[in-house]
Amino acid sequence: MRRILVGIASIALVAAGCSPSNPDGESSGGGASRLTIGTTADVVNYNPLLGNSRTDTWVTNLMYPRLMSMDMEGKRTPYLATKWEYADGGKTAKVTLRDDFTWSDGTKVTADDVIYTIDAVAKEKIGIVAGLIPSYTNATAVSPTEIDFHLSQPDGTFLDNVGFWMPVVPKHVFEKAPSVQKFANDSNWVSAGPYKLETVERGQRYVLKRVDNYPLVDGGKPAAQEVVFRVFPDVNTEALALRNGEIDLIANAVPPALAKTLDGNDKIKTVKVPSLGWAHMQYNVQRKPLDRLEVRQALAAAVDYEAIRRVALQGSAVSSNSSVLTPTLKQWQDTSAKEYTYDTTKAKQLLTGAGYKDGNGDGLLDGLSFRMIYDQADPNIAKWAQLVRDSAKEAGIDIKLEGLERNTYVAKYQERDYDIYAGSWAIMDNPPANLALAFKCKGFINYANACDPALDKLIDEARGKLEQADQKPIIQQAAKMITDQVYDNVLYVEEFTIAHSAQWSGFLTQPSELLSIVNPQSIAQAKKG
Amino acid sequence: MTVTESPGRLTFEAFRRNPLGPISVAVLLLMGVVAVAAPLIADYPRGYGEDVLAPPSGTHWFGTDDLGRDVFAQVVWGTRVSIVVGLAASLLAIVVGVLVGVAAAYFKHADAALGVVVDLSLSLPVLPLMILVAALAGPSVPTLVVVIAVFSWPEVARVVRAQGLAVVPLPYVSASHALGGSHLWIIRKHVLPGVAPVVAVSVVLTTSRAVLAEAGLSFLGLGDPDSWSWGAILHNAQRSGSLATAWWTTLFPSLAILLLVVSATLVAVVYNDARDPRTR
Amino acid sequence: MGGSARFMVRRLLRGLLTLWFAATVTFFLLRLLPGDPALAVADPTMTEELYADLLRDYGLDKSLPVQYWHFLAQLAQGNLGVSFRQNQPVLDILLERLPWTLLLAGSSLLVTMVVGIPLGVLAATRAKGLLDRLIQVGGITGQSLFVPSVGVLLLYLFGVRLGWLPIGGAMDDDVTGLAAYASIAKHLILPCLSLVLVQLGSYVLTLRSTLIEALGEDYCRLARAKGLPNRRVVWRHALRNALLPTTTLVGLQLGFLVGGAVLTESIYAYPGVGRAIYDAVAQLDFPVLQGAFIMLAFTVIVANLVTDLAYGVLDPRVRAS
Repeated sequence: MRRILVGIASIALVAAGCSPSNPDGESSGGGASRLTIGTTADVVNYNPLLGNSRTDTWVTNLMYPRLMSMDMEGKRTPYLATKWEYADGGKTAKVTLRDDFTWSDGTKVTADDVIYTIDAVAKEKIGIVAGLIPSYTNATAVSPTEIDFHLSQPDGTFLDNVGFWMPVVPKHVFEKAPSVQKFANDSNWVSAGPYKLETVERGQRYVLKRVDNYPLVDGGKPAAQEVVFRVFPDVNTEALALRNGEIDLIANAVPPALAKTLDGNDKIKTVKVPSLGWAHMQYNVQRKPLDRLEVRQALAAAVDYEAIRRVALQGSAVSSNSSVLTPTLKQWQDTSAKEYTYDTTKAKQLLTGAGYKDGNGDGLLDGLSFRMIYDQADPNIAKWAQLVRDSAKEAGIDIKLEGLERNTYVAKYQERDYDIYAGSWAIMDNPPANLALAFKCKGFINYANACDPALDKLIDEARGKLEQADQKPIIQQAAKMITDQVYDNVLYVEEFTIAHSAQWSGFLTQPSELLSIVNPQSIAQAKKG
Repeated sequence: MTVTESPGRLTFEAFRRNPLGPISVAVLLLMGVVAVAAPLIADYPRGYGEDVLAPPSGTHWFGTDDLGRDVFAQVVWGTRVSIVVGLAASLLAIVVGVLVGVAAAYFKHADAALGVVVDLSLSLPVLPLMILVAALAGPSVPTLVVVIAVFSWPEVARVVRAQGLAVVPLPYVSASHALGGSHLWIIRKHVLPGVAPVVAVSVVLTTSRAVLAEAGLSFLGLGDPDSWSWGAILHNAQRSGSLATAWWTTLFPSLAILLLVVSATLVAVVYNDARDPRTR
Repeated sequence: MGGSARFMVRRLLRGLLTLWFAATVTFFLLRLLPGDPALAVADPTMTEELYADLLRDYGLDKSLPVQYWHFLAQLAQGNLGVSFRQNQPVLDILLERLPWTLLLAGSSLLVTMVVGIPLGVLAATRAKGLLDRLIQVGGITGQSLFVPSVGVLLLYLFGVRLGWLPIGGAMDDDVTGLAAYASIAKHLILPCLSLVLVQLGSYVLTLRSTLIEALGEDYCRLARAKGLPNRRVVWRHALRNALLPTTTLVGLQLGFLVGGAVLTESIYAYPGVGRAIYDAVAQLDFPVLQGAFIMLAFTVIVANLVTDLAYGVLDPRVRAS
């Protein structure tokens, strides 16, 4: 008996010896209000200039300001910047900043920080931002709150791009690192948001405490004293925690099926947030026979758009009428756009008209077999990919599904190794800039491999214009061309369901899962009761 | 003088007497029938249905999943994949395990080295390794079969070796040797039949463990996305957030796994008890 | 060298051998499988220069024996590589998580043994009786349960429906001292219970069969013939001997436990090594997967070693074998 006990004791000793240490506890004091937010992934990277996971963005957004924010229509609104305009025929962009933003170590946020950030991005070619500001040359600080950006050519997309996409980092902290790109920024955070990061327990929680002087909330003091992000790898457990009141908000969009069950619960409120991107299929026009318009039109006619939205997305999606100008971007949307009609008979007619026949009587037209790649980890696409395949079969088209794991998927689409590409954009908020990258010849994200000189001309023309009102008609023309030529089959725009406890209110909704109700202004003004 | 019954007959009688034995065999046979006759029982789950996440009802005995597909059909077709993967993996493991176990029992020199290999393999945490390998090799049914087999054979080898060590010193084996029988012949004629009962039990036990392993790997997303298996049904439920809300998507595949594994194990246990004169 | 010292050295060497075996298995697996072995160290989506640099660092441009040597050398220094997704050394990531997994596995093992030993004894001494049958069926059912399903069921029942226990996580923040330990314990109950329910079955069954065998052995019959009360025979003699193979059993149990921890920790959002594995699978973060396996193997080996040594020190017969 003794021996058994010794055996048990030795194991227990090992376990106890390695037991986790106590956290430094500072009790938040009585009456403290804490907003607990659930997320499914850890923060991987604290450097806001290096894009990574959603959790990274949610947390760093609460720490580093951007020049502009966005309203529900995708239009830029003031944040760190108060006003902005073009001058010199578009070769200079002038921005005026607020003077009441301070870094958490007391230093003021000034034009120097902004210029430092954009110079670092341009010099080291950091991330997507670098790709969005190709015309930037240099900038001068006219005063601590005024900046003149100098461009190599008139570029009507510059301000919107740099305003929304580039977070501003503190020069006096980041310049100490040999390279901004390699700067981990994983401790001693100096930030200028409504909350500052205090404690990190990786795999468990991220604790942020409020600051007393955030200019964008009434009174300067955010309502909730503390914001805690708690990590739940399993969305089912996360939902249970919300139902139980252990967390107050789930930052990641709730899967449609789960959203329906939460709707009926009166302790929980759900908010619908439109996506700023879209889900689509693109046909590789550099591969035969996808270079033929009739084939692409037939493929477009062989998709049951309604069923996809109703069943695969459970109604959490809206139609974009097959246009790349989605309903979320109200200031760009072309209301005359119409969705491709789902008609398998018409599809078959188009194909037989183009000369395809069914030689062996297997119901499939010969020579029409396509490989479609998608990220198998994406639950939505994995579902509608099957629907697409099944309805295409009725039109005599054979689609072979290739659900790939992420690395292989990325490798294949970068090499354009597919017939059909299925995927989704998270944010495509600025059509003149986005269409250039996505549809111009050799564009970085041109997955249709489209190379249409007429289209390129339209896009360049739009980019040269400095006012949105002038860009709009040209962009709409370009979008119509994309639809007519089936360079992009836009299936739907997702509507995310964000769930939060009914005890909290005051959130400010913005589009896209990256902002939704966890954007800095929203969190700063959220209150309990 | 009384005529004693053959050991086989005694085993059979003892097996029959224990109610758990025949019941478990019946359940296993039923599942086998379901696996083979799947097309006759339910349509292959594909496409989508209008009734999404509907609880069990007259039309859908096990309810529907997040795409409106019938869960009963999924479980029925899943029986096929789960059993096939389990059986294939276990047979592969058996073949390797028997080879190694018999070799270790018969060839004394090999025993030291092989014994060490088996022992070492047994002391490693297997699931993380299976995960690593499956993630690397990519998700597909053949990969799963091989991965599970590769990590199940040591257990078989251990058991076969133990039994073999009891058989090899027996008089008739050394007699055969003295009579000039070749190693291979002796193994085939005497050793293999001697370890056969243990192997039979091993097949059943390894299959049930393989089914659990497959469910685990599929649940983590390492299974074959094109085939239905019980683990895949659960993976789907987990991903779509219905694991804790639509209880039918979780309960029925879990029950299926439980039923198969329990029956298989019971058969093995009751058979073992029936075989051993001390516990008959 | 004295008998016990020789014994300890032998066990230690055996432990080292197993560790080497685990490392070697990992190394060759990654290189013999279809798929790019470079995936183990370098993320293909990183820039070309970085990729080439990493490959050079790991000697993947050299011959296999050189790579193997390099791999072992790195391992001996505690270098398990760098995570693809987290820009951090794998060792740091895992060391942060290890205490939680040890706590979970250790407590599960403890509870399993405390509950399992009496049950096993009960079943063996009343073999073929109703109680034995019940325990047998219970044990078999237990070991056939699918861990995630059990986890979700318990969470729903105790977390939501009854509201007795917290949902997910390892502890609350803002607690110190006694309250901290209480919080840890509260969060530990459900994951531990999930593992125990599955683990208990196989433990009781194995104990039962070894006990039945031991009870049939000569020395037990001799003890009974000597007139010793049955209870004494069971507890003192048979159990002690039946527990000796428990050392191997503990190793097997621990191996299973840390494996089962992967599924449990993901459901319960418990921040252990199993969670790290779960996250790494979704992101195909191979250095973490590989490092986690080696670390877990190491843990199991050390635990085995400790129990072996403890028994060896106390029971001279084990030393002599």
